[in-house]
Amino acid sequence: MSRRFPPERIRNFSIIAHIDHGKSTLADRFLEVTGAVDTRKKQDQMLDSMDLERERGITIKAAAVSLTHTIRGEEYLLNLIDTPGHVDFAYEVEKSLQACEGALLLIDAAQGIQAQTVANAMLAMEQDMEVVPVFNKMDLPHARPEEIKDELENTLLLERDSALACSAKTGEGIDGILEAVVDRMPAPEGSPDKPLRALIFDAKYDEYRGIIVYLRMIDGTLKKGDWVHMVGADTDYEAIEIGKFMPKPVPHEELSVGEAGYLISNIKQLEDVRVGDTITIMRGERAAALEGYREAQPMVWCGIYPTNSGDFENLRSALKALKLNDSAIVFDPESSDALGFGFRCGFLGLLHMEIVQERLERESGLDIVQTAPTVPYEVQMNDGSTLVIHSPGELPDPTQWSEIREPIVTVHIIVPTDSIGVIMKLCTDRRGIFLRQEHLSATRVMLTWDMPLSEIIYDFYDKLKSGTKGYGTMNFEEPRFDAANLVKLRILVNSKEADELSVICHNDSCQRRGRAVLQKLQKEIPRHQFQIPLQAAVGGKIVARENIRALSKNVTAKCYGGDITRKRKLLEKQKEGKKRMKSIGNVEVPQKAFLAVLSTDE
Amino acid sequence: MSKCRYCDFNSYAWTGQELDRYVRALLREAELRAEALHPQTVFIGGGTPTFLPADLLAELLVELSRITGFRSTAHEVTIEANPESFDEPRAQAAAQGGVNRVSLGVQSLRPEVLRAYDRVHSGERALEALARARELFTRFSADLIFAFPGQDPASWEADLRAVLASKPGHVSCYELSYEPGTALTRLRNAGRWKAEDSDLCEELYLRTGKILAEHVYERYETSNFARPGERCLHNLAAWRNLHYVGVGAGAASWHGGARRKNIERPEAYQAAVESGIDPVGECERPDANTALFDHLMMGLRLVGEGVSRARVRAATGLDPVDHFANQWQAMREDGWVEWDAHYLRTTARGALLLDSVLTRLLPGEPV
Ligand SMILES: Nc1nc2c(ncn2[C@@H]2O[C@H](COP(=O)(O)OP(=O)(O)OP(=O)(O)O)[C@@H](O)[C@H]2O)c(=O)[nH]1
Ligand SMILES: [Mg+2]
Repeated sequence: MSRRFPPERIRNFSIIAHIDHGKSTLADRFLEVTGAVDTRKKQDQMLDSMDLERERGITIKAAAVSLTHTIRGEEYLLNLIDTPGHVDFAYEVEKSLQACEGALLLIDAAQGIQAQTVANAMLAMEQDMEVVPVFNKMDLPHARPEEIKDELENTLLLERDSALACSAKTGEGIDGILEAVVDRMPAPEGSPDKPLRALIFDAKYDEYRGIIVYLRMIDGTLKKGDWVHMVGADTDYEAIEIGKFMPKPVPHEELSVGEAGYLISNIKQLEDVRVGDTITIMRGERAAALEGYREAQPMVWCGIYPTNSGDFENLRSALKALKLNDSAIVFDPESSDALGFGFRCGFLGLLHMEIVQERLERESGLDIVQTAPTVPYEVQMNDGSTLVIHSPGELPDPTQWSEIREPIVTVHIIVPTDSIGVIMKLCTDRRGIFLRQEHLSATRVMLTWDMPLSEIIYDFYDKLKSGTKGYGTMNFEEPRFDAANLVKLRILVNSKEADELSVICHNDSCQRRGRAVLQKLQKEIPRHQFQIPLQAAVGGKIVARENIRALSKNVTAKCYGGDITRKRKLLEKQKEGKKRMKSIGNVEVPQKAFLAVLSTDE
Repeated sequence: MSKCRYCDFNSYAWTGQELDRYVRALLREAELRAEALHPQTVFIGGGTPTFLPADLLAELLVELSRITGFRSTAHEVTIEANPESFDEPRAQAAAQGGVNRVSLGVQSLRPEVLRAYDRVHSGERALEALARARELFTRFSADLIFAFPGQDPASWEADLRAVLASKPGHVSCYELSYEPGTALTRLRNAGRWKAEDSDLCEELYLRTGKILAEHVYERYETSNFARPGERCLHNLAAWRNLHYVGVGAGAASWHGGARRKNIERPEAYQAAVESGIDPVGECERPDANTALFDHLMMGLRLVGEGVSRARVRAATGLDPVDHFANQWQAMREDGWVEWDAHYLRTTARGALLLDSVLTRLLPGEPV
């Protein structure tokens, strides 16, 4: 296995596509035909190794694997990265592409080109990579390759004849794709004679092995036992173990130009490993740093607090460990009256936020409370400075600023022509500004709108899906900030202001939003022995009010048939539930209520 | 015994032969665990014993009496019955076997409600059964269920009045509950049945109390109402946390320092008994603190009577008032409880907030 491959026998490529177009399934077929996995041990989407990925049936993390395959009598080393398709994980795709020379652009032959097909193809083309389009799911009766060839030409300006066809399900056409990888994608360019230079493209913390660094070799050779220097972190470590993922980690004596693999050292500080950093040799001539990765720009922010206030430091360590594996997370300490000490965290989208929260709980065993997500805002202060806020609570008193700017994104929406009307209305209702409409083919169009990020981040995607019978897809780019008539909606629970629940919203919708939040709180907060007034206010003006009636009966008049133990257990469970609640003044609030602001139900 | 949707008491579908086998097993367990027990009260219930054919029911009573000696010691022998199976022969068999009280599972008089509960009887059949009970037994109870989602308070009130017209000495009114594993719970979880409505529960609960008070029934327990001298002695004993032995699949016992529950599934229960094994499913030996809590959890449901301090001290070595002195003090200030040298009880307001009263006694932050 540990034979050496010269660069011309190596190909590094990613599989990119819209969500669910079959990337991970195609990777399964590659693992099979190259003999990387025992057929008896195979399962579906083998590279989706995280529990969360298997449960949800989606890829969250890019996964790298090294394969060997013989084409026309020559053995090649193929380093493949399976990437996620969901829009929230575009940053993963971007990072993966930087470790590759080519990309397989997978397109579901029935669904055709979708929003993330375009977005991911653009990412690859911007990096001047060789993009090989592949139509997948050709086994489906409603596959329509000819029409999609039109879309390919019209949208991506790719030659219609450049596309391959396969079925990752049946295995049809798989060999042809591997041949195209070898024939059409360039070999890595580095030189074995130059000093060691490698890109850290990922990392993770393993309970038993410590930090595992994923690297892509650019120049030179890395040998087991070498002392290496991490350029950005300015630290030195011994390469105690190096190897390749095949797909399980297999130790090797050396890694050379163009190869991808891993490095294990006794790295103590999580901060010492930065994804995007460059590795070179400690002694002798050092290589210059690679360009590395741009920083991810978080689109949504929320507070994350430990349920037990004593777990604050544990939460910090857990976030650090997770950041190693997911460099897109940003976090800073913050505190709140009701929730104590926690962190304000930034994410690339709501799914990303949900995944991080689940991973935190699973991987660290901590119980956490989360506040409602918000987009960032820019505040023009009277003194001329600009303040960027990541939570409504940070908004200074209105007398101190002159303007709030909200993030606006350019959204590309691909829909069937017959649902244009519905989607136009949806975008207008969400304060969108129409930019243009382009026909991809006879039946599908791409609409481009400028929209406030806050209007699309929550339920817009669901509305888009339901308005297009599931066929609509969307993608948006990084935001710019524009002034808008925004106000802070304050929420008062039993006359006590709860900053954790406040929202920044458009002045025109403050009443509707206020009512929605209060109604949600009314459902979530259990009745107390006293009546609880709920109010939503803008400045000093109350815009909505509701009441939680006092509790007058909770005795259970049910029939338990003599099972005293069970009755006692039910009471103990009630008590447990109460202990987990947080308080706003003298009102006990369940953790879920802090997400009440999310309810945008009209 | 047919399955019904609202309750998770042991109810399974049976054939005649299976019933016979079950009764044998039950009697064998009684021989093992209740021989010469000489109980003061007997309650034949849990599921619907009147599904037994009359001769089998008669045999069961004779044998139980032979084993436990209840006919010479028990003041009250109750049988639970369903309107659809409480016919003349069975009623006669019960009366001759020593039964002197019937607890009739009327549940509701409305066809739509009965259908939802999977009950096969009709409102008229229920009223007929009440009349029969009145003829043959001096003491009888009508058991009702209320607060099913969307229930119209007026129709509940009409049902209640119709039932009261047959002059039961005792009425039980239970809130509908969604027990895990029952058909009703599955329907609700699948979105095909509305979820609990606590406001409706509260309204009906209060209305029920008012109507029964008008008819001179005392709410002596959260869900139970009686005319003078008509309280159910058997249940009173349970709320006073006195001991009892239960036999049969899933039956609960509180005896010899242990709370236990028999194996639930009849098949497994029978298999155990038939091979001479004690069919115990779960068993717990409460320590003094748990026993004290149980006394309060049960006893405070007795609205007027409350918890006897002397009885609790004798049983647990702890005084229920002194042990939670701070909590009681706070709750007395809230107007929830009151006590004297002999009894601790809830006020009218505290009786309604009993779950809050009890959770305040559990370990953890005061809430
Ligand atoms: N009929 C058919 N179904 C396929 C084919 N390839 C994949 N699928 C199915 O499409 C679904 C999505 O497949 P995945 O491989 O998880 O898709 P993915 O692109 O990796 O998805 P993400 O990683 O979440 O973006 C699964 O149900 C696959 O079984 C194919 O060639 N034909
Ligand atoms: Mg995948």
